[in-house]
Amino acid sequence: MTILGEFALWIALPVGLWGAILGFVGGRKQRGDLVLSAERSVYAVFFLLILASAGIITAFVTDRFEYWYVANYSNRALDMFYKVSGLWAGQRGSLVFWALLLSMFSCIAVFTNRNKNREFMPYVVGVLLSVSSFFLMVLLFGDVNPFERLAFTPADGRGLNPQLQNYWMTIHPPTLYLGFTSFTVPFAFAIAALLTGKLDTRWIAITRGWILLSWFFLANGIIFGMRWAYQELGWGGFWFWDPVENASLLPWLTATAFLHSIQIQENRGMLKVWNMSLVSLTFLLTIFATFLTRSGLIESVHTFAENTKIAMIFLTFLGVVTGICVLLIAWRYPLMKSENQIQSFLSRESAFLFNNLIFLGAAFAIMWGTLFPLITEGLTGQAITVGPPFFNRVNLPIGIALLALTGIGPVIAWRKASRRNLAKNFIWPVVVGTAVVAGLYLQGARQTMALITFGVAAFVVTIITVEFVKGTRARAHIEGEGIPIAFVHLVMRNRRRWGGYIVHLGVVMIFTAFAGAAFDREVTQTLDPGESVSIQSAFGHEYTLTYQGLSSPRGQNMLRQAVALMTVERNGVPVGSLTAEKRLYVTWEAPVTEVGIRSTPFEDLYLILASLEDLGGAFENDASSQRATFEVQVNILVGWIWYGGFILTIGSLIAMWPSKASLTPAPRRAAEERVPAEPVGV
Amino acid sequence: MKKNHRFFVGLAGVATVVTYLIWTGVSQTMLYYLTPNELLARVKDDPTFHQVGVKVSGRIVPGSWEEATEHTPHRFYVADLEDEATSFAVEYDDMLPDTFNDHENVDAVVEGRFREDGVFEATLVLTKCGSRYEATPEELAG
Amino acid sequence: MLGAALLAIGVMLFLLIPILRGEWASFDRTDEDPTEIGARKHVALKGLRDAEYDYRAGKLDENDYRQIKAEMSREALDAMEAAKAEVEDPDAAGPAGDPLEAEILRTRRGMAEGTTCLDCGHVNEQRSRFCAACGRPLVAVVSNAPSTGD
Repeated sequence: MTILGEFALWIALPVGLWGAILGFVGGRKQRGDLVLSAERSVYAVFFLLILASAGIITAFVTDRFEYWYVANYSNRALDMFYKVSGLWAGQRGSLVFWALLLSMFSCIAVFTNRNKNREFMPYVVGVLLSVSSFFLMVLLFGDVNPFERLAFTPADGRGLNPQLQNYWMTIHPPTLYLGFTSFTVPFAFAIAALLTGKLDTRWIAITRGWILLSWFFLANGIIFGMRWAYQELGWGGFWFWDPVENASLLPWLTATAFLHSIQIQENRGMLKVWNMSLVSLTFLLTIFATFLTRSGLIESVHTFAENTKIAMIFLTFLGVVTGICVLLIAWRYPLMKSENQIQSFLSRESAFLFNNLIFLGAAFAIMWGTLFPLITEGLTGQAITVGPPFFNRVNLPIGIALLALTGIGPVIAWRKASRRNLAKNFIWPVVVGTAVVAGLYLQGARQTMALITFGVAAFVVTIITVEFVKGTRARAHIEGEGIPIAFVHLVMRNRRRWGGYIVHLGVVMIFTAFAGAAFDREVTQTLDPGESVSIQSAFGHEYTLTYQGLSSPRGQNMLRQAVALMTVERNGVPVGSLTAEKRLYVTWEAPVTEVGIRSTPFEDLYLILASLEDLGGAFENDASSQRATFEVQVNILVGWIWYGGFILTIGSLIAMWPSKASLTPAPRRAAEERVPAEPVGV
Repeated sequence: MKKNHRFFVGLAGVATVVTYLIWTGVSQTMLYYLTPNELLARVKDDPTFHQVGVKVSGRIVPGSWEEATEHTPHRFYVADLEDEATSFAVEYDDMLPDTFNDHENVDAVVEGRFREDGVFEATLVLTKCGSRYEATPEELAG
Repeated sequence: MLGAALLAIGVMLFLLIPILRGEWASFDRTDEDPTEIGARKHVALKGLRDAEYDYRAGKLDENDYRQIKAEMSREALDAMEAAKAEVEDPDAAGPAGDPLEAEILRTRRGMAEGTTCLDCGHVNEQRSRFCAACGRPLVAVVSNAPSTGD
């Protein structure tokens, strides 16, 4: 199977190139037979990549350590779950995985459009297969072939980094990759639109579902990464402004901007060049993200090993694609004139434009900070870095501005909003926001940025809630429905809008969680069994953890384990226990820390076994080696990131759900609810 | 055309704010990224450099690690990767990463400032994990 | 290896057969394909519906609502005119009998004959200033007056 998989990979490249060329040529010459062959190439590449992936997975599952990739990311004792997911555990396999997902989405795009949008499809196929071929070229010529064999067969592999043996870490790359690769489809349609000269809103209408899908996966992928970092890295943080983290955030930022700006093009026929540029930029950023991760260009906790060959191939591809996009957009510029202009500063168009500018500003700032060492070293010979303090400083005000916009957007009308009406709609939300800030201030909270965030968050939640209430009431009144039914119908009849509002609620929840971090507390103490450590939560109550002792069971794949048990009391009342560990894995020299987390809706009690006085003795269950240093944290509102993510998921699913155009006729309603005419004096 | 002016005003406004944030952000949080040799040279040339935030990449001197106690911080020596003779002491108060050890061939990155007394006061210590992801064939055989 | 050879041959055949047998993928437009006009029409109609909800939810005050409704009705009508010009057969009711479209067509005819009230749809006598059915002031739709001050 594995040998077949290897051949399949080699066959896939010429097939991909064949299809790419035939797609473009067939579209240009209107040769349907070439186009059909090109479409078949899409299916063929997918099939071949399935074989290649199956080959890799088989090699893992059957412990074929003569393969370099298997030897480095697996060992005999590794759990089957991680052997299968070994496909994306490291650089080489993850490239195959990326190609696989890209080809899967390409198949779906071709299949769902086999009887539709035919004028675009030849070029869409051309673009999709070109990108797939690129990844295949990297795999086969970039010294990263997952089927590379060693000169000998090791008896056992090195095993998987224990920190990667975690549920969230296993689903985090696939989810992100689903987001990155699915965005290639809207990009392909955009290029097709440029090539065919059909630059109206058609390409947007066709790909709207894809854009939402991609955004959904990107957002979740990033959140899963945060969850993994929080659970596994053992510092209680969830985001470190690591270059690779930043690289995945960039396309998400531009994709979010894009989701909003396409509405301006749909509604008012404006921003055509902007949207073309934004879709291209987002696609380029997805490639840039994977380039940064793989090339080792910026050192990072995440990067796969340094590989200059890959760096050059990726950079060339990025350069070529950028050049092509710029040329195409310049060529078609005359066809992309705006049909309208912004009528008023106080309008939804204006608000969305602001939103776009701010998102792009944030993306630029993050890109700048990430590449700064390279830039300064290139210019002055001296590398200068910036770290989390920079990114937090810059993004905090930007984040608050964006948060405020999520509340202003829903309330401000298209074209021209009346000042009086806006003010009327803002009164209660502003009151609530101010009350929240005042209330927290009176309780002793003094962290300015966090207070402002809470205030703005309350403002937004009020606005969105009122929107739902008003909308439901209006519908109930107009359609004569009961409130619950009216609510459901309201949402289902305009899924984009109301799904979008729910997504906004999720985002607000996540931002509130970020602000909550300003109130985290932390205490470090060395204890002998029987001793306690206390920590106060920002909410006022006190946790007392009493160290019971160490035990050293032996888990699978582990050489040694030292488990510290603490009983927990909240304000004197026993509420359970918490364990924190140091583990020594069979195949990993450094010990690994496993934290203990006790989650409640408003805070997490986070326990770290920082160090043991006598690690060796502890592992041997030596009773005199139980002295340990613990770090205890109370992380405020951190759970709201995951809850917010869940709400965001629901909102996106609603927004994405396809629906027939369902417009209940307005005139009929007007006739139904015609009020008996009052004589007005004709 | 007048309407488009509003757009450009908005663009200029946002661009100004973002540029300001980036500018002040960089100038207030930037860290020079140096090797131990470069750091010592800079400090000799310019004594005010003791106040500047720096990030230093080097190799942990084997056997040089004194573990922290309740009253003293962790202490270890970091040497230049190319010139092992150049080294200085680093003090660090917080939890060290699990990958930290003072065996052979362990690289570290420390952030902080280089005090006048010749000891590096670290606010962050990271041990490089490049080698964690990929092993050379020789390492596999051994 | 035999398996690999079979795979390669199989894939090659799969790709070449359409060309050898002269099977063609279609380039034709289908009714489902969004046209530019269709997309515009859809957006205008949706905008009208949204405007009504916004008005009833208190986000738009009455004057703004009327203005926007007038603009959007005009755009919807323009789009539908263009759509009619695109398609050969005259279909009065639009695809699948979209009731909103039919209504707007009636309104358009009403506007050619007299003055149609945009709120209740009643077609009034020519030169009326107030709607005889609901009493609200009638807004001119057909004029191309600019919607907001320049």
